[in-house]
Amino acid sequence: MPRWGMVIDLDKCVGCQACSVACKEENNVPHGSPEEQQWKREIYWHKVIAATNGRYPQVSTQVIPMPCMHCDHAPCVTVCPARATYRREDGIVIQNYRRCLGCKYCMVACPYGARSFNYKEQEEEEYHHPDLPPDRSVWGPWPYPTRTHGVVEKCTFCFHRIDKGLKEGKKIGKDVVPACVEACPANARAFGDLDDTGSEVARLLSTRRPIRLREELDTKCKVYYLLK
Amino acid sequence: MSLNFTTIEGKSRGYNTLLAILIVLSVAGFVSFMVSYIEGHQLLGSNNLIPWGMPIVVAIYLIGLSAGSLILSSLTYVFGKEEYRPISRVAVFLAIVLIFGAMVGIGLDLGRPEKTWRLFMFFMLNNMRSMFAINTILYGGYFVIGLVYLGSIFAGRSKMTKMMGMIAIGWAALVHMGTGAIFGFVAARPIFYSPLKPFEFLAAAMVSGLALLMIAIVVVFKYTKREYDQKIIFSLSRLLFALIVGLVVIVLIDKLTHVYPPDREATIWLFTGPYAWVFWGLQVGCAYLVPLVLLTHPRYSKSLKGVLAAAILVVIGIFGERFALVIPGTAYPLPFYPGKIEGIWGATGTFPITFVETLMSLGIFTLMGLFFILGLKYMELLPVTETKEENPRPA
Repeated sequence: MPRWGMVIDLDKCVGCQACSVACKEENNVPHGSPEEQQWKREIYWHKVIAATNGRYPQVSTQVIPMPCMHCDHAPCVTVCPARATYRREDGIVIQNYRRCLGCKYCMVACPYGARSFNYKEQEEEEYHHPDLPPDRSVWGPWPYPTRTHGVVEKCTFCFHRIDKGLKEGKKIGKDVVPACVEACPANARAFGDLDDTGSEVARLLSTRRPIRLREELDTKCKVYYLLK
Repeated sequence: MSLNFTTIEGKSRGYNTLLAILIVLSVAGFVSFMVSYIEGHQLLGSNNLIPWGMPIVVAIYLIGLSAGSLILSSLTYVFGKEEYRPISRVAVFLAIVLIFGAMVGIGLDLGRPEKTWRLFMFFMLNNMRSMFAINTILYGGYFVIGLVYLGSIFAGRSKMTKMMGMIAIGWAALVHMGTGAIFGFVAARPIFYSPLKPFEFLAAAMVSGLALLMIAIVVVFKYTKREYDQKIIFSLSRLLFALIVGLVVIVLIDKLTHVYPPDREATIWLFTGPYAWVFWGLQVGCAYLVPLVLLTHPRYSKSLKGVLAAAILVVIGIFGERFALVIPGTAYPLPFYPGKIEGIWGATGTFPITFVETLMSLGIFTLMGLFFILGLKYMELLPVTETKEENPRPA
């Protein structure tokens, strides 16, 4: 069984946020309004933060793209009372909207702020979807379950792409990658099987010393960063 | 000592007015809940950084009051302190009403409350590693135990009452420690994360439950013109003093461990930030310092008014303590990466008090008030008065 993971090279990342936009398109994440963003009610599956250290003129700002970290020891999975969020066999932590009762305990427990709550009934947007034929009647509903207000949602590592790719016998990490990896113009991201020594992510992890965010919490997350 | 209990008549004008006001406010609360259920939680104050809002504050506050009240009722039935017998029935009934209100509060904060049944599918559909799921057993069992306890009191079966009382004490302590564990075991939020949280919750429960019980005794007995021995209140006030001291010690240790590194920024922000007035004013001032002064003051500690004022301050202050835990506890941004995080991801959260949420929270209290005064009318909770001039008007 593979263990999907992601490696983000911070040296290559320019903070263009193409990954965030691609994620919103791919997964039909509601785009929200400026007011909602100000009130922190906009839904983000992927965010790009900037951390500043030092004072002018000796200052550096590090841009860090943050999807869900898909922890092996995920605090959200531990605290979810309804098994709405669970870890799949392949390591992807996923949210089942039909089971979620909206207690928001997972949002309190997540150390990465990866989870968002649906504060209102969201509109269904028709995004450009390069994977799918243009006529929606051919492929039916969206590849992800539809959401209602009152449930929590998060990044899925584009599991629908991975599942489809595996079924078609494609190579995950090369032919099929999550939308954010595909969209990155600087090739800063790599996706693949962390346990497979031949994969691109394994090669990158061996080249430079990788870090994970908030490692002190021992979440054993599967998104690695390569520092500058 | 045999003591007869009776109902109140509940026909006076004051009673009916109070009943009408409580019904109107409860209906308003229910309507605002339905509006928020249809429109979504955009009408409430919570957001992605502060996921838990006012209903959770109210819920854990009420669980505390309930557990404290039930533990104190056992003074009569388990430890045989006969002087508390006149109030013991009210205490058990109050505990049941309060835990019901707490359950309503938790339900109001759920995004999809219609799926609550999933929580009760123990070991099948729910995740028993979650503190929340474990607490479902505790809360449900507590409700049942409370009802059986009250039933055995009414049936006059003293042996069973004593047994149920003992179970109820242990279970009530578990309920509140479990509630503390919901917060205390979350490593991601520095203000929550502490092994002391269950004990802090238990101590706060005893303090607030006792204070509420003292207020309830004085008010109910006064407005229904019943005689009672004021010595009860003064002996309870000494107990209250001891419990507050215990709570202060636990909170002091808890906060001190948090201001020592690591992750001290959130706690320092609580002490100095926009919610400092809740912490220093309500929690420290209103719940701890002023009551402690009042209860040791040579004159006020001997007067009913002084003791009652201390009890009222404690009940208000413990609400502040709950608020200072739930809202600022999550409002500080998470430290994703060393350094100052720019933009909205590094901004502290704000929690606006909205109309719908306030009405909902108020509705929980009025619903409980409604059940309480109906209970006084239809159940034999109060001791019979010696003076037979009946003009009942409870609070």
